Amino acid sequence: MRQPREARGPSLAPRTRRARPVAVALVALATAALVLPAALAQDLASRVHTATLDNGMRILLVEQHAAPVVSFDLMFDVGGVDEPPGLGGIAHMVEHMAFKGTTTIGTDHPAQERQALTDVEVLAYALANARGKSDPALVDTLQKEFMAARKQAQSLASQAPLDSILSVNGAVGLNASTGYDTTHYVVSLPANRVELYARIYADEMANAVFRSFYEERDVVREERRQRSEDDPQGVLMEAFLTEAFPGSPYGRPLIGSASAIEGYTATEAHAFYQAFYAPDRAVLVAVGDLDPVKDMATLERYFGAVPAHPTLHTRFPAPVAQTVERRTTVTFQAQPQIMIGYPKATYPAREAYVLDLVDALLGQGRTSRLYKRLVVQDQVATSVQTSSSFPGTRLPDAFIIYALPRAPHTTAEVEADVYDELHKLATEPVSDHELQKVKNLVRASTLRTWSSNAGLAQALAYNELFAGGWEHLMGDLETYDSVTAQEIQAVAQQVFAAQHRTVAVLQPPKGGS
Amino acid sequence: MRRAHAAWTVAASVLAALALQARAQPADWPDPAAMTFPPIHFQAPAPQKAVLANGITVYLAEDHALPLVQGVAYVAAPGVYDPPDKVGLASFTARLLRDGGAGGMSPDTIDEQLAYLGASVEASSSDHFASVSFSSLAVNIDQVLSIWQDVLTRPDFAQARIEVERQRQLEAIRRVVDNPVQLAVREFSYRVAEGHPSGAYPTAETIDAIQRSDLVAFHDAYYAPASTVVAITGDFDAKQMLAKLGATLGRWQHPLAPKPTIPAFNEHPAPKVYFVQKDVQQSIILIGQPAMRAYTPSYDAFTVADQILGAGGFTSRLFTDIRTKRGLAYSTGSQLTQGFAYPGIFLAYAFTRTDATGQVLHLILDEIARLRDEGVTPAELGQAREQIVNQAVFRDTSVAATTERTARVQLLGLEPGYFETYLQTVQSITPAEVQAAARQVLDPHGLVIMVVGNASAFDEPLSDFGQVVTIPLQ
Repeated sequence: MRQPREARGPSLAPRTRRARPVAVALVALATAALVLPAALAQDLASRVHTATLDNGMRILLVEQHAAPVVSFDLMFDVGGVDEPPGLGGIAHMVEHMAFKGTTTIGTDHPAQERQALTDVEVLAYALANARGKSDPALVDTLQKEFMAARKQAQSLASQAPLDSILSVNGAVGLNASTGYDTTHYVVSLPANRVELYARIYADEMANAVFRSFYEERDVVREERRQRSEDDPQGVLMEAFLTEAFPGSPYGRPLIGSASAIEGYTATEAHAFYQAFYAPDRAVLVAVGDLDPVKDMATLERYFGAVPAHPTLHTRFPAPVAQTVERRTTVTFQAQPQIMIGYPKATYPAREAYVLDLVDALLGQGRTSRLYKRLVVQDQVATSVQTSSSFPGTRLPDAFIIYALPRAPHTTAEVEADVYDELHKLATEPVSDHELQKVKNLVRASTLRTWSSNAGLAQALAYNELFAGGWEHLMGDLETYDSVTAQEIQAVAQQVFAAQHRTVAVLQPPKGGS
Repeated sequence: MRRAHAAWTVAASVLAALALQARAQPADWPDPAAMTFPPIHFQAPAPQKAVLANGITVYLAEDHALPLVQGVAYVAAPGVYDPPDKVGLASFTARLLRDGGAGGMSPDTIDEQLAYLGASVEASSSDHFASVSFSSLAVNIDQVLSIWQDVLTRPDFAQARIEVERQRQLEAIRRVVDNPVQLAVREFSYRVAEGHPSGAYPTAETIDAIQRSDLVAFHDAYYAPASTVVAITGDFDAKQMLAKLGATLGRWQHPLAPKPTIPAFNEHPAPKVYFVQKDVQQSIILIGQPAMRAYTPSYDAFTVADQILGAGGFTSRLFTDIRTKRGLAYSTGSQLTQGFAYPGIFLAYAFTRTDATGQVLHLILDEIARLRDEGVTPAELGQAREQIVNQAVFRDTSVAATTERTARVQLLGLEPGYFETYLQTVQSITPAEVQAAARQVLDPHGLVIMVVGNASAFDEPLSDFGQVVTIPLQ
């Protein structure tokens, strides 16, 4: 089922940055390995055209002429980590609002609509105040007025105009997602619609109207029920993050708590939008059948008209060193699940690269150590996954292991097996063959992500925004190649220590199934 | 209190005020709704077709963009061939092709070789066919092709791996009830396709009943050159690739058993309200009924109706009414599955808070009735048509997707050119034809309704919507 405007929760999939670095070609025999990467990297570099506009916005245009289509990824340096206290999840709420139309897209009566939206907002605050004073009669009156004002505002908007303009023009993959680190907006269009794209998205960056805010707030509340309240994995993940990241933005629910969501106002959301959505915090990547001169000029013309403005820069607390194991158990009506995590450094620390290889070694595919041990040999689990960058990469994050025990085996048995494998990694050097295998795996899987326009666009945008330049997409391969068995052992010893770990277990209530 | 962020909001508002001064669209920006573009005609190069000595059709397309090769064999060994007491057999067989060793190589050997090559071979089975696929770096293609062919034609079904897979499936069955959406879809599919294997799902009993001899027999019966079509795409020379396939896959000789007898599809399942009580915050609501076979004339018209009702994304009626206007769901819409040997299924859905369950059921039922009784407006039809036609260019953006689709079309027995015919039909379709298709499929008195939720807090009893059958949560 299609899920438009998906707010991506913390995903177990590795982040785009360098976790699955760019790969170049994998070759079974090391002799051929040096030839292909350089050629591929050179080929890609020759197709990338860049521009930095006066307002600070960066544009990457990538020629890919195989088919007459283009994939756009508009990525912003703003995410859940930038949320102020009390407004958890507002980055995601803003993502839902940021593409609801503009002053010229979505209404034929901009002045009247503006007044109607102001009326809604005044009543929203009046209602919240009345609730605080526990005056049921006043609440009842204001609630009715609030609903009437919302109806009035809706009557001045044309329904889903922005979406329908894009849809009739053949848009596919129209979506947006919010992470802890970043927020991005994606769509693919027939290649002759570059100007249409630029007209709409540049306008949204400058003139977004947060219409139907309170209806959308209810939608987000439903999204939270679906992803975080009725889904055991979502429940476990929130519990894990709270326990593993005290004091860090990564410890807050990305989608926001139920009470936070229910209290958002359009004023707060718009303030957040203004505080972070500026052209110098945005990168636009377009990959497809593009003319580097004509299409770049079109993009520059529209996005260059987006006014620059100052933005807030979030200060992050220093991570608190962990000295004892942390453990939490959630009771939920479902079969047991377990998540184990260890704090780690993020890029560009060498440790982060080493742990990317450890991720492949422990958790990628049928020959990974944890799969072989837990699923095939001991059969204590039905699945096991790992991630070396969870839940983001901008701040110190965690290496995690997530497993579903197989009845009648317990999470304790899963833990015992996992710790034994981590112990082996810390005490015995990895063989040359196994090390080469995981290097091959990491390269090959990355190469595959390049084969789609949308995948390439996302990878380029992320590297441009957070890794110091899109070229880094190609620069990390050598780093991986240089990792030695001794380094893996040393990092494993340091990171996978018992006093560093956080364990979150989801269990059914006693006597339940 | 929520005032902790008040100071922050003030700071941000100051920034907002500063920014507001400069805001307005330049006067020369066009109205995006009025912008027009010439249609793009794009025909992907047709894959090269060849027939191996044993009769296997192979579709090949060179694509040198990246040094990769991928391929797939589609085999007419679908899930609907499962015997009723061994539901899950087709999938189990496919899993074990890959996991049970092949051509005398142990499961571990195959796993290790593929991992070292950064390659993959996977096998799975759907309602319509089984697929055995591979992905490889061009430089390793010979080794990977060899493993792929062994997996397809010479599986060993190692007993130890059968037991691992059995336990994995039993655990998956235990866990279905943990996920309300999965649970609802499973139970809905079973009821809407009453008595037909396409709706059957594996249980602990059917999985326990499957023995190694069943896997061997299923492979022996239905995996054969006569039931197989192959598609390969990527960085190779087509002539050389064909020679390689001819020397190996082309020599596979194996008779194909007759298809098993599959019970007829009942196009009029009992119109009941099925209910599973579960302590959840959100009700999962699915409403639907059997439709028609894919790419028949009424199907073409009904896809347009479905698009307008709920499959068209943000602009569809269900999305606009239930989500955008009322904020009652994050996930809502409709879909139409493609049926070939039997009808596809029409399904409308919404996931909503418990105390809005009745309200949302009414909204979906009203939209279904409105589509049937009032049809669609010319403006809606125009939009749906443009959307379908303009999106068509994306069907051929990947050489692999085009090649693999061509192979599937042959296996499923569709006429070549069926999609061009479909596009032509859609372009000239009238509101009356769309409504006629809607009337043909949508019977307000024939709908199967599935709800997973917490009845103690429903806003309206489900009995208002028909005869309620409570399915116990196992």
